[in-house]
Parts: sequence; structure tokens; C-alpha cells
Amino acid sequence: MDDVAQAHTNRRVTPLTDPPPSAPEAAGRRRYLPLAYRVASYNAVVLVATVIVTILVLAPHKLSSFETDEAITLGLALILIIALNLVMLRRAVAPLQKLTALARRVDLSSRPGERMPDAAPTSEAGELAQTFNEMLSRLEAERSEATGRVLAGQEAERLRIAQELHDQIGQELTAVLLGLARLRNAADADTAEDVGAVQEAVRASLEDVRRIALELRPEALDDLGLHSALAVLCERFAQRSGLTVEQRIAEPLPPLDPESELVVYRVAQEALTNVARHAGTDHALLALQARAPDGPLVLTIADEGRGIDGDGEPGTGMRGMRERATLIGAQLTIGPNPSGRGAVVELALPDTER
Amino acid sequence: MSTTAITGPIARPSDEHRPGSDVDDRIRCIVVDDHPAIRLGLSELLAAEPDFRMLDAFATAEAAYAYAQDAEVDAAVVDYQLGGRSGLWCSRRLKSLPRPPAVLIYSAFSDHLLAAASVVARADGLVSKAALGSELCDRIRDAARGQAVLPLVPPAVADSLRHRLDPTEQAIYGMMSARTADAEIAATLGLTAEELEARSWTMLRKLIRIDASRP
Repeated sequence: MDDVAQAHTNRRVTPLTDPPPSAPEAAGRRRYLPLAYRVASYNAVVLVATVIVTILVLAPHKLSSFETDEAITLGLALILIIALNLVMLRRAVAPLQKLTALARRVDLSSRPGERMPDAAPTSEAGELAQTFNEMLSRLEAERSEATGRVLAGQEAERLRIAQELHDQIGQELTAVLLGLARLRNAADADTAEDVGAVQEAVRASLEDVRRIALELRPEALDDLGLHSALAVLCERFAQRSGLTVEQRIAEPLPPLDPESELVVYRVAQEALTNVARHAGTDHALLALQARAPDGPLVLTIADEGRGIDGDGEPGTGMRGMRERATLIGAQLTIGPNPSGRGAVVELALPDTER
Repeated sequence: MSTTAITGPIARPSDEHRPGSDVDDRIRCIVVDDHPAIRLGLSELLAAEPDFRMLDAFATAEAAYAYAQDAEVDAAVVDYQLGGRSGLWCSRRLKSLPRPPAVLIYSAFSDHLLAAASVVARADGLVSKAALGSELCDRIRDAARGQAVLPLVPPAVADSLRHRLDPTEQAIYGMMSARTADAEIAATLGLTAEELEARSWTMLRKLIRIDASRP
């Protein structure tokens, strides 16, 4: 899928600032001694020095008259203590490594809500984890707010362009068409034929303008409601890409707020576009139904085509769907069709008091 | 109230009474569209047809209805999307006049649900704004003769409609599709004229989401 390929490209491009070197195994980063080993080695030096000083002070003559077994016992004891020290240090430092791993893998857009466990202010590491979690929450909130603003701006702009196309250019072309009709009636046969050709051209432009306006902004959504808008959408796919969409839409559809309706519509539009472009099938299913009586609605778009290639990493289209879903607190899942062939996109709307 | 937006005289060759005919049997038309260029274009187109008599053009549904109450109108071309109340409101109102004109809904997008709603609004036809002028004129002639037909609602949409309407409303819809008169529908279903009227508005609201579908 294009989306998947795109995701990989994006991934390479996105980290503008590389994370600071913190693990020795990471390729391309400077190797360093991990903190636990470094502190343990300092401790070892201090310990050995302490033992030597103690012997020097308490029994200076002993230094020159060590028995072999005494030296071995002392050496083993020192090694044991140093090893124990290292184990304890590694345990103390483990949360830092977990934090580093989380910080490296965290993805606010496709896997929000991932947090450090054991984040409590009972140790420095715990406090750091708590602060880190708080920072993630703040970033997620800011990001979702920013996404919301961008999407709202995008929709407003689309609406404006669609309206302008429809109200201005569309209407003017209709007026031109009417004027041409009048000219044709008044003209002689030859001219009438020419005018007829111009009429056809204007008519084609008018159809184009209407199609573009419809794609930009589902006019039907405002006028006819979500049910009809989805029906019109499916019909358009049938006309333009030969994709037959089987519709299973709950009747009557429980009332949704306009924002949710738009998200459902756009996700359906994007998912069907993906099916038409990539799935290599001419049949898809669109369902908008509740799983349980009075339960929240679930939008399902399923096909039995080629399925999702690779690891299903989100591309721009899928990312857009996910961002829209997050905006209304809905859950988007994209996975293989349980039937064994093709893919399923599912948008579970949040359970609201109805 | 006059929202007639055609400024200046427009050529109306058909206004001159045709010689040799005592009775003016031309089709008297009005146009309702909130876009000035389309109002003008339509007026000129219809005025140029010898068998049409272009009466007036209006920007709002209310103005057209007010005019039609006192004038004899044979055909009305009504834009679906008007600034205030919709073309469906206008159609339903015009059709409830003692001598109702034929009503053609003139819409940029002809959706099946709009077709269904047009049936309830008692319109005689639905014409796309991309239709050629000659087609529009022919449709007006058909409608004025009482021969216009609304586009068929495909089975899938018809099925979805049945879910939206309750049994009584389905019966009303069926009779309206068959062009049964309101009085006859009311008599058949044992409704008063007011009840049928109220039902119609409810049906319009169920079929199409426009706040302009209030009575």
C-alpha cells in the first residue's frame, strides 16, 4: 500500500533532532560505560583503597606477611561485594533504561496513552517517571488540540471553497447555460449547432464543478443527513470506480453531533478510497450499526481484497483517519478481515449518554 | 413585499399578444432562485419561448408564494436551495393554493432523497441545473399539461425511505407518488386536512434535513 510506504518515508524524515546518545548498543552513537558500571567501578576503587588503608592503619606488618589463603579469601570477598554492589546499582538504574526505551518508542499519534509504570514519587526514578508521564499527557493534549484546530481549519476552508464553487462558479455556469439556450433558439441552423457544442462544453464543466464541490464538502451531509450522505457516497464510488458497496446502516440512525457525523463520513470516504485504489476488489461492505441495543455506533468498512501489506504502519490517509477519530474520542482499528481475506477498518464511536 | 430582482425591462417578445388569437393560452411562468444571474437567465430563456408568458422572478420562497396567492400562475420553476425557506416549502405552499401551478424543482444536485422529498412537497418534477435550456422548457410544458414525472426512486433508497416513515406516512407517500389529491388522501386515511398538512411537514423533516421544511 502507498500508505505503508509513505509511513516509512515519513518515519525517516520526522525525527529532526536525534535523541541524545544514551545506550551503548544504539548504532551510530558514541559508546559509553553505562551508569551502573561506572558507579560500581568507582565504588570498587574506593573499597579496595579502604581495605588497604585499614590494613595499613590497624596491622601495618600484615601487608608483608599475607598467607596465600588469606589473600584469596580477602580477594573473593572484595569481588563478591563489588558484584553485589553492581547488581544493586543496576536495579536502581533500571527505571532510567525503561524510561529511555519508552521515550524512544513513544508515538503520540498512533499509540496515545502509553505511560511509565510505577510512577510514584517514592524515589528519584519514580519521580522522573511521573514527571515524564505528566509531560506525555500534556503533549498529547496539546497535540490533539492542535490537530483539532488544523482539521477544523481544513474543513472550514474546504467548505468555503466548495460553497464558492457551487454558489459562484456553478451558478454562473448555469446562467451561461441558460443564455446559450436562448442564443441557440434565436440562431440560424449552423450557428445553433456551434452553440450546441459550447452548451455541451459548459455542461461538462458544470458537472466537474459540482463533482469537485461534492468531494470537498459532502453537501448531502448538511442537507440530507449522515444516512443519505453515506448512500450518496457509496453511489458515487459505484459510478466512478466501479466499486459496489453493500450498505448496512442502522435505521433509524441515532442522532449524532455534526462533528461526529463529519468524522464518520470522512473515515468512510478515506477507507473506501483505499479499497478502490489498493484492494483490487470491486465489492466492499459499509456498516454503521450498534453492536448492542442502545450501544455506541460502530462504522465498519470491510473488503475481501488484497489486504494490508507489511505491518500496517499508518500512512497519511490512515493517520488522518486516526487523528479525526481521536478528535471525537472514537477508537480506530485497522486490521485483516476475520474472513481471512482483505482488510477491515473499524471506527467505534464513544459511548455517550443518549 | 417585492423582492423582484430583475431590474430594467427585459425583452419579452411573447408579451405581445399573438394575432388571430383572442384567448391568451400561453403558459404563465414564475421563477424562484436566489441567484440573480440565474433569475435573469431563466427569465430571458422563458420569455423568449413563444408559448410561455414570463410573469415575474423572485429571490425568496415567501415572495413567490405571496405573489402566487393573487395571480394566476401555470408553472413555477423553483430552486431547491434558497437563502431562507427552501424550494420544497415553496412547492408545498404553491400546491396548496386553490388553483395550484405546476412546480418544477430546479436543483444543482438531484439526489434520490430530494426526489422523494419533492413528492411530499407535491412538486411535479425535478430538473437538474445542468439540464439544457430546451430540456427545461419541455419539462415545463409537460408539467403545465399535467404530464410531468418525478425521477424514480431506486429500490435501495425506497427501502431506506420505508424505514424512515411510519406506516401512515408510508401510505401517504405512496398515494402522493401516485399523484392522489390531498383531499382524497385525507379522506382515504381518515385524516383532517390539517392533520395531513402537519404530517407532510413531519415527513419532509424526516426525509431531508433542512430547517426550512417547517410549515
